[in-house]
Order: sequence, then structure tokens, then C-alpha cells
Amino acid sequence: MGVYEIERSAPDLQRGGIAVIDRHGNVTWTDEVWASGDGQVYLPRVPIGTNLLHAYRRLPDPRAQAIANALSAVLEGTATYFEIEHRADRESQDSFLTSVAALRGNGAGAVLIHRPVGVRDASYRDRQSDLRTLDGPPVGGGIDRLTPREREVLGLMAAGLDNRAIALKLRIEYTTVRGHVRSVIEKLGARSRLEAVARAYRNGWVANR
Amino acid sequence: MTPGTGGAQTFPVPSHVALLHNGEAELRGAAIPFLRAGLDPPSQGLFCFGEPGVGERLLRALELSVGRDLSPEYRAGRIVVGQSDPDVDRQLENVIAALEAFRASGFTLVRFVGINAWDAPAFPPPEDFLWFESKLNEIISAFPVMGLCPYDLGRMPARAIAYGALETHPLVLSGGVLRENPQFIAPDRYLRDRLVGLPWLQA
Repeated sequence: MGVYEIERSAPDLQRGGIAVIDRHGNVTWTDEVWASGDGQVYLPRVPIGTNLLHAYRRLPDPRAQAIANALSAVLEGTATYFEIEHRADRESQDSFLTSVAALRGNGAGAVLIHRPVGVRDASYRDRQSDLRTLDGPPVGGGIDRLTPREREVLGLMAAGLDNRAIALKLRIEYTTVRGHVRSVIEKLGARSRLEAVARAYRNGWVANR
Repeated sequence: MTPGTGGAQTFPVPSHVALLHNGEAELRGAAIPFLRAGLDPPSQGLFCFGEPGVGERLLRALELSVGRDLSPEYRAGRIVVGQSDPDVDRQLENVIAALEAFRASGFTLVRFVGINAWDAPAFPPPEDFLWFESKLNEIISAFPVMGLCPYDLGRMPARAIAYGALETHPLVLSGGVLRENPQFIAPDRYLRDRLVGLPWLQA
């Protein structure tokens, strides 16, 4: 199972928290009112019993549709949870990360997280990784999960080759390369091609820069 | 490189130019003459690219500017509207496929306007987008392309301008003046010198 992040869809979110939903999308628990800077895209209030999927689908803003799509992915089992960035202090982060870890053990359909923005320290990352490993692949490392071919592809990605160039280099089909690249990104728990490459350099999995 | 007429400007061919502008009016003031200059010579193709709907809006603005329907050119493949994709590999492939189609049709020059977005749902994540912008320099070197990438100074965050507009484009067009860009980092160095060290990718 992968992780579906939609933080890019919500750069203007000002407040946030955690909501637990059942497998149909109904909110069963929430710790905070959800609100947005503009009051349009995000639901201003999420009472218990609200069907979050339907509520987001009704909003006209395309970003709300992106959230609904992510939520569908969670409910269909193709994602474990998704995150929405927001601004909050460190104490709030600790509180909600702890809460999520506990709630996920209770068989909730999904846990929706508003993640603080601008906090990228190692401690936060590590704890985030721990959360992801509850259902999904490890993301702190992950290199050991790659096949020899995927490691080879990662090396070529890190050398700056695009998929066509990798296909030529390895004398394999473009679509095969594409599958390898997607697999590498997912197994490393990265959100993007370049995040996987950056992680490879940082961990010394590819030749030193 | 041979020079081509980039609207009021003369751009090298191939070229990859960052257009720094403020707002929609300035964008159209630069992009529409650039595209319009490619309408008369039948050997030129036009390629508008951006988030869903953006390329179409640019095309409508071009139609208003020339005062006629450009559907015939569109149907003939002389004008192509491309869409961004959250998957950078697909986005790169879409651009390459369009340029290959222009070449296969015999066009001797393609005018490309790629309207950027940052941290947008229909666009690759910022780090992948930056890789795409840098990679474009390699891609277009094989094609007769004049590429214009608008960056709205009023909308794009500083890091999009710093890392994107200024470090991935050899030329910058600002205030109607085309300049060589001393901040440009060649694509063979950009990934290692810049991308893997982007602050938001660090643990």
C-alpha cells in the first residue's frame, strides 16, 4: 500500500487537526474544527457523522475534488492516509502524531492529518516514517527492498537520465522503465522522482556527488 | 544556433527563455506577439502548454488578437495545446511527443509557450518540475524550438523564481529585454549541484 499525499493541494490551509473516518467516509472522531484561510475549499466544520467524501465532492473548487480523490484512495485501500499541510507549533505536531499512532491501531477506516508546514527536522521525519510503516513499506531506508534492476534504474535516475535515456541504456522498453521508476519511488516512500534521487544521494546508495 | 524572430525579440534557435512578468496583461503582452509571429509563415508550428485549460485560454487570446478562428490550424496539427501532468515522466513524454510530431510534419520552427505552476495539483511536485525545466534544455537542443516559459513574479514563490526561472533558463526576457542569464546552471550539473540539495528535500 502506498501513501497518498495531497499537501500540494492545500498550501493555504491555516488550521487543522485529525479526523477519523469509517470505511464509508463518515467522520467518527475529530479533535479540532477544520478550517481554511479562504473558507471555501475546506469544510469549515466537520461534525461527527458527516460523510467527508460527499462533503468534499459537493465543493466546486478543484482542490476539494483532489482531496475527495485522495480520500477515495484511502477508502479503497490504495493509500494508507493522506496529509494536508497547515501551520502549527511543535507541541501540536507532537500531539497529533501521537494521537494518530494510537488511533490507527483501532481499526479506523482512515486517519486524515493536517500536517504542519515548515517543520522538516529529522525528528519529525522519523516519526512520520514510523507512522507510514504501520501499514506501508518502510521509508526511512528502503534500498533493501529494491530489486537489482530497480537499483540500476535508481542509479541512472540519479545520473539525470530520463526514462527514454534509461530505456536506451538498458536496452529495455520505455514502459518497463516507467514501471521500474514508479516502483523505486514507491518502495523508497518518496513523493517524487527527485525526492527518491535526493534520498539515494543522501544515503550513499549512488555514487557520491 | 541560428536566430529567429521571437515576436518583437530575436531569439536563438533552439532557445529556452524565462519570461519574467507581473500578471496576465504582461504575460499576454509578451506571449501573444511571440506566438502571432509564427502564424503567417506556414512552416512554423505553435505549442501552448500548461495546466488544464491554460493552453486553451492562451489560444483564445491569440484568436482575439488576430481576429479569426484558429481551429483550422489546430485541426491541422499546426497549433498544439498540451497539458501538464502531475507525473513528471508523463509530462516530459508529452512534450517530447508533441515536438516529434511537429518535426514529422515538416515544421522548421516551433514556438513553445509553457505556462508554469508551482505546487499545483495538475503539475509535478516542485522538485520534479525543476528537473523537467532543466531537462527541457537537453530535449529542445534536438529540435528547432523557441521556448518561452512565463514566470509570474506576483504569483510564483521566490524559490520558484530562484531555482526555476533563473537556474534552468539560459536566457531571461524581462521588461522587453532579452538577456543572457548568468545564474543558469547547465542541465548536466543542475541535478547534482542544485536539485538533490533542495532545502525541502533534506531530512
